[in-house]
Amino acid sequence: AQDVTLKLHQFLPAQANVPKLILDVWADNVEKDSGGRIKVERFPAMQLGGTPPELIDQAIDGIADVVWTVVGYTPGRFPSTEVFELPFMVSDARAASAAYWQMFERHMKETEFADVHILATWVHGPGMFHTNKPVEHPADLQGMKIRGGGRMVNELLDLAGATPVGMPVPAVSEALANGVIDGATIPWEVTPALKVPELVKNHTEFEGAALYNLTFVLAMNKERYESLPDDLKAVIDKNSGLEFSVFAGGTQADADGPARQIAVDLGNNIITVSAADAEEWRKVVEPVYAKWVEDMAARGIDGQALIDEARSLMDAYGK
Amino acid sequence: MSGLEIGLWSFPALLALIFVRVPIGLAMFVTGGFGLWLVSGINLPLAKLKTETYSTFSNYSLSIVPMFLLMGQFATLGGMSSAIFRAAESWLGHRRGGVAMAAIGACAGFGAICGSSLATAATMSRVALPELRAYGYAGGFSTATLAAGGTLGILIPPSVVLVIYAILAEQNIAKLFLAAVIPGLLAAVGYLITISIYVRLYPGRAGVRAPVPYAERFRALIDVWPVLLVFGLVVGGIYLGWFTPAEGASVGAIGTGVIAFLNGGLRWRSLVESFMVTARSTAMIFFIILGAALYNGFLALTQVPQEISAFVTGQGFSPWTVLALILVFYLVLGCMMDSLSMILLTIPIFFPVIMSLDFGMSAEHTAIWFGILVLIAVEVGLITPPVGMNLFIINAMDRSTPMVETYRAVLFFVASDIVRVAILAAFPVITLVLLPG
Amino acid sequence: MHRKVTKLARFMAVLGGFVLVALILLTGVSVAGRVLNTFLHGSFMQGLSPDLAGRLIALGIGPVNGDYELVEAGMAFAVFAFLPLCQITGSHAYVDVFTAWLPPRASRVLRAVIEVAFAVILVVIAVQLHEGLQSKVRSGQSTFLLQTPVWWNYAASLLGAAIAALVGAYMAAVRALEAVSGRVIVAEGPEAVH
Ligand code: NA
Ligand code: NA
Repeated sequence: AQDVTLKLHQFLPAQANVPKLILDVWADNVEKDSGGRIKVERFPAMQLGGTPPELIDQAIDGIADVVWTVVGYTPGRFPSTEVFELPFMVSDARAASAAYWQMFERHMKETEFADVHILATWVHGPGMFHTNKPVEHPADLQGMKIRGGGRMVNELLDLAGATPVGMPVPAVSEALANGVIDGATIPWEVTPALKVPELVKNHTEFEGAALYNLTFVLAMNKERYESLPDDLKAVIDKNSGLEFSVFAGGTQADADGPARQIAVDLGNNIITVSAADAEEWRKVVEPVYAKWVEDMAARGIDGQALIDEARSLMDAYGK
Repeated sequence: MSGLEIGLWSFPALLALIFVRVPIGLAMFVTGGFGLWLVSGINLPLAKLKTETYSTFSNYSLSIVPMFLLMGQFATLGGMSSAIFRAAESWLGHRRGGVAMAAIGACAGFGAICGSSLATAATMSRVALPELRAYGYAGGFSTATLAAGGTLGILIPPSVVLVIYAILAEQNIAKLFLAAVIPGLLAAVGYLITISIYVRLYPGRAGVRAPVPYAERFRALIDVWPVLLVFGLVVGGIYLGWFTPAEGASVGAIGTGVIAFLNGGLRWRSLVESFMVTARSTAMIFFIILGAALYNGFLALTQVPQEISAFVTGQGFSPWTVLALILVFYLVLGCMMDSLSMILLTIPIFFPVIMSLDFGMSAEHTAIWFGILVLIAVEVGLITPPVGMNLFIINAMDRSTPMVETYRAVLFFVASDIVRVAILAAFPVITLVLLPG
Repeated sequence: MHRKVTKLARFMAVLGGFVLVALILLTGVSVAGRVLNTFLHGSFMQGLSPDLAGRLIALGIGPVNGDYELVEAGMAFAVFAFLPLCQITGSHAYVDVFTAWLPPRASRVLRAVIEVAFAVILVVIAVQLHEGLQSKVRSGQSTFLLQTPVWWNYAASLLGAAIAALVGAYMAAVRALEAVSGRVIVAEGPEAVH
């Protein structure tokens, strides 16, 4: 018989990649490792109410016990995580997710995330364009309305000459279908769940470092975690931290391949910007770095130090 | 009590509150909030309210509601509503039942630019009710005609109910609007046939007038051009992907506002009055949506929808039996609830059930076809006695007609609705034929 | 007293109405900007004078930046501002068939109980919205594009919510007094107040 029921709330439909390949795995492992004493009730697609930006508050306030959310949906609250959202910063989701967890423990756990118990931190595979017109050079973005998932992406889009539109990812399909936006920035992995390859026919991916990335957290209500008996706390601990973060980031990035194949099979136009050609993009978006460091300075955070630390941790990964 | 039991008990509790005249939004709010309290403690509903009232009221997709309501007010002020009625009347007024038919035609035309059934019923009643009575139409026949005509406001797109359905079922709004066109026209035709049968059975209950010369008829048609222009721009623009429904509503409100101003109908006093009407309806609708959001969050937490879905699908009924059960359920529920709360309450429960069944169509087609059937079923609820929002609104405008007379006459229109539901359920192609691909 | 409270509710409704009109105009401008921007990038203008087209684009002719989130924030304000009028005019949707046979006395008591419950709920909504505002102030959350503090939006909405709670409490007092005294102070129904 179970002693504890945890409500897991998130914004994607149950059959999408992250719920299916990552969150369900987490929930199943927790149930198994606890010998059935923990039951994880799964509420996909915002079934418990509210909107995706409210998820982190739902975990803090205990409306849900565990949430999976995009950190960028609440700009201004978790500024340090933005270091992994800078353009052309991340080349490998596993390395970045590992670095993200290490830096979370050092710099964010007791400060920005003090109100909530974080179970895992990760980034998705390379972020890229999905557009109704082909985009190969920054100039092609002129006058296009593009959805961005966070503050950094929107600044990048603005610099590149597009008009950024901010909306949570579940709103993307309808916005593309209605022509509210001309394209969206998302990784390959989530495109099938949102029917993106049916809605737009052009995809622009980048060789080498990713154009941008978003950061995620799997977060648990703090009192809820602390109220658990020690042996069940140990079960949660076993299924959280560095190892699970790397698994999550890696699994999500690995889901890019099959998703890309769907667009290939539909005969869509896939533009791959070579590492050399990406220089043109780098130049355009370069000011994002200086502006971010400045923004962080205003908050009393040494942004350049975070950038350097993230780079060295990602380089050190796997070595 | 387990969460599931509390969830199941919430149905009779909610109905009991509604029956003792608790406003529908408040009833759902209280049932949902109290249910959450019982299941999880007082902190949970309170914590939800910290952000959820704001996030519910600031929903971009719902911004279409007050925009279309204001557009309807401007259309009335600009004389567009009465222009539609005059055009329809000059062509149909000399036939027995013709003025009633004209009223249906006007409702259909107004419904085309207005998103709300109650707004259509209320607006057209103000124009057409005095005309009908002046032509010697019986009270009950007049009110019933307008109550039924008012439902065209949601049957003919754009339609608030379809917008809500699209959000709940995650369907494309433009495609749903497109799919609603033929069923909406069928509804108008069905009502015209109903009127001709009714006046044949009771010739004394309708008057006629002398035919109007053709020159005058065409002149009346010309007066309608602004309506056609705005209609073409809003509906066509949404279909063609020029703009979103919310953008279409804005363009429509600007268009009708400018026309009303040029016609001299929109001045300071009338602007303030149109704000008042818009404010009351908007607040009423959004409070129901808020109550439903809280109640739905509670139901989800208790896992009642999943259990009911599992129960219905686990009985081994054929897909068509399940569909028939659901539609009959709506007709019954429609006697007690208003259309928006019915949709908000039941779609999260029934939509997954329907989608898990095989009707020999693609998932998207099933979703759209079911949406149209639900739209009609809840719309019938607006005019089925004893409780029907349209019946109440129109009867309130004609105090000399006893409610019972309205009840009797409206049954003819309800019959026509039921026939239409059966036809559309049996032949999905009628709904889906206009869809691309 | 009733005249004054009605005036306040109508003032809020007019305020909300103007915000609604502003949002409609903003959306209209955004649509026009998008259409013009597409036209300036189109082959016609680019063939005619790419220089002029470029300069017009540089002027910022295009969709309004952040229109989406402005509509969201403004709409929340408008809805909260509409609530007091809905409250004082009794415009909420309800079902009256099963209570129509009640004796007038019982009917007045029932109405008072409901109105008191409604007032309590409106007060709870306003108080919790204030809680939400506090937490948004603390967390420093900003909007997506305009990057203005989210608590500004909450603060604007709180104005309407607080007045709705006030008007709700007033109506509860009126109905309670009617139930006790047995006389009608404020006639019921949307048509009663003009
Ligand atoms: Na309509
Ligand atoms: Na009914």
